[in-house]
Order: sequence, then C-alpha cells, then structure tokens
Amino acid sequence: MNADAQLMEHMMNPQNYGEIENSDATGIGKNPLNGEKVVIYLKVKEGDDPIIEDIKFQAIGCTTTIVAGSIITSEAKGVTFSRAEELIAITLGMLDNVPPEDAACSEMVALALKAAMDTYLARQKDSDFPMISYKITTDCTPKGEMDNESTI
Amino acid sequence: MKVLFKEVHELFLATQFTGFMSQTMSRLSLYEYANIFFKHLTWLENDFIKRGEDYTYSVEQVPIKVTHISHMYSDIIKRIDSIESKLDRCEDRDITFRMLSDLTYIKSVIAHLPEESVEYAFNTKREYPNVELTDEARDALTIFLFEETYKEYELIMVYNYSKAHSSNAFLNRIFQVLVDESFFHLRSFGQMMADMGILGVPRSIMEEVYKFDNLEKFLKDGIQEEIGAKEECKRLAEAVSSSSEYFASFFTFINNQENYHIALMQEALEHISPK
Repeated sequence: MNADAQLMEHMMNPQNYGEIENSDATGIGKNPLNGEKVVIYLKVKEGDDPIIEDIKFQAIGCTTTIVAGSIITSEAKGVTFSRAEELIAITLGMLDNVPPEDAACSEMVALALKAAMDTYLARQKDSDFPMISYKITTDCTPKGEMDNESTI
Repeated sequence: MKVLFKEVHELFLATQFTGFMSQTMSRLSLYEYANIFFKHLTWLENDFIKRGEDYTYSVEQVPIKVTHISHMYSDIIKRIDSIESKLDRCEDRDITFRMLSDLTYIKSVIAHLPEESVEYAFNTKREYPNVELTDEARDALTIFLFEETYKEYELIMVYNYSKAHSSNAFLNRIFQVLVDESFFHLRSFGQMMADMGILGVPRSIMEEVYKFDNLEKFLKDGIQEEIGAKEECKRLAEAVSSSSEYFASFFTFINNQENYHIALMQEALEHISPK
C-alpha cells in the first residue's frame, strides 16, 4: 500500500473505530483462512429506507483493514441503507483491480457492513435473529508466501 | 467501577503516547507515570477478579494529535481529576488510598513539566532524523511501525490478562517477562513513529483477542506470530540496510529478541503440556 497524505490520516487516526453500546445491529466480515475479522456496529434510524445514524467498527487484522474500515464507515455514516448497498456494490466491484491482500481487507469491511444491515433488517421481523457473519472469498495471502503462511 | 477501570486504562494510554512525543527528559517521567497507571489498572483488575466480576479492556479512542505537549498535559490532568472523583467506586480502600496518593503527586509534577512543540510527531513527513531512506524503505518502515506498535500494545494486554487469571507462578514469571519485553518494543516503535511524524492513536483491542479459552493454542499461535515478526524484521533490516546502518542493526537486534520470546513461549507450552 502506497502511503499518501489521506491514507496516512486514516492510518494515524482511524475514523469510527470502536464499539457502539446498545447498537441496533452488528455484523461480521471474516477471512476463514487466517481468522482475521471485522465487526461493524450500527445505530439505525427506522424508516422505509433506514438511515445509518452512527457506525463503528473493530478489527482483528492488518493496517490495510483498518484503513479500509475507516474509509468505508466514513462513507456509510449518515446514508440510507439503499445508498450503503450501492457503496458495498462499488467496493466489491473494485476488488479485481487491487492487489489480493488489499482486496481481502476491503471485502471484509464491505461484507461486515452488509452483515450488520442484513441483521438489522432480519431483526425487524424477528427480534431474536442472530448476528450475521459473512465469509470473504478473496485470498489475502500474497503470492510467494502461500507455502509459508502459518500465522492466525 | 467499570468506568473507573476504563478511565485508568485511557489515562495509561494518554500518558504513554505523550511520552512518545516528548523530546526532553520529560519523556522518562511520562514513561514512569505510564508504568504507575498501568499498575493501577492491574490493581483494579485484581479487585474485579477477587469479586468474580467480568471486565474488559475496551477503551474510547484517545485523541493525541496536538501542537504543544501542554495540551496533552492538560488532558492528562483532566483525566486524573475524573478518576479521582470516581475512586469511591472501588470498595478496596487500600487500593484507592494508594492510587490517590500517586495521582495527586503525578498531577502536581505534570502541571510543571516544560512546554514542547510536538507538531513534528504528526507532520506525516516520514523522514527519520539523519537518515536517508529510499522510498521502498520508507514505505516498509511505515507499515511495519503501524502494525507492530498496535501489536505490542495488544501483546501487553494479552499477557497481562493471562497473568491476572493464572495462579501458576511458573507461567506468571513468563507472562511478566513478555509484558516487559512488549513494553520495550512498544516504546521503541512509538518513539520511531513520533520521529517520523506518523504517531497514531492507540486502538482498542477486541475482547476475544485476550479472552481466549485455549492457552496451548494461544501459545502455539503466538510462536508462529513471533516467527512471522522475525521474518518481517529480517526483511525490514534488508530493506533499510542500504539507507541506514543504525536501522539495519536495530531491526537485527529486534529480530534476535524475538528468539527469546519464542523460547519463553515454548517453555510455557512445555510447562502446560509436557511431552
């Protein structure tokens, strides 16, 4: 990842990092290959097209995941679910154009956001609906390290 | 009590990271005070454990980007004031008496520490004093410092939690050494981040990272992570060797220290599951 000024700002001061106590929904994006994960917490304003009033994230992952979480949650804060769905689609659509290790991090954040929104919608019908967790499909192991990969 | 615990944790972080910014002798005082606040945290933690109460290491983001160090000193003093007002939430009067005595003294000293401009720690220049870094070395070092500074803080808290929940003297000795080692690494990397103008805020650690069920698996994974960290140090030493002999030898030194950490974890592993 090349570090320009904007990226540096997200690295030094990640936006929306942490938990929301009494959140309306949470969701997980997970890398099944190495145990990395992103959790997204939402505070939602009810409506036909609900609005993400507040959003926070936590991660077990690398710096790229933190940067992706900071950028995507900043974009998603204050928008409707429809707009957030577009944001997720745009993010997932760009994955082919970035290195696999960066793609996996962005996918994990996008899927965590989707999981949180889907959890929220499912709980409108069934308040006991469990938190949704989606697994990423991108392998973040850089080529050449595949044989040596052993960390969690 | 949980709010008190969280605020003491945040005070520890604010003081520790202010120490990274200082370029004067104040740094040493701040490191000592951070140690004392960390000790307060462990006292309160022990009180939770004695009473069988659950707790977490969750903290709010601690803002540290300031132009002058006096802004952080004011912030630290405000944090201490808030903690003092909540000390009665801990029923163990011996703990709160000791804490109050420390806090009162530290507050009085911090109020008189000299002013320093600390804009350099956040200017994102990514230059290291008296060292010519290639673009490749600069990028590698940047990513390494962000990854490892967080990792060392995480390790301090993980080993501390493990120690707090173990009554096994053999394991506790190992956990304490690993806490101390991680403090040394955190401080080395934190100072480097400040020197390069990229000092970042400390991030909260997810509960499942330190509240693990399986110590054996944790140690095995930890050994693999240390091996990974060794490789990273080796790569970094190679990347920066043409730019700086100092950096190359520093990362070789860190790389070799990882051997000691691995040996300690292997010792712990053999202790809990002898062959």
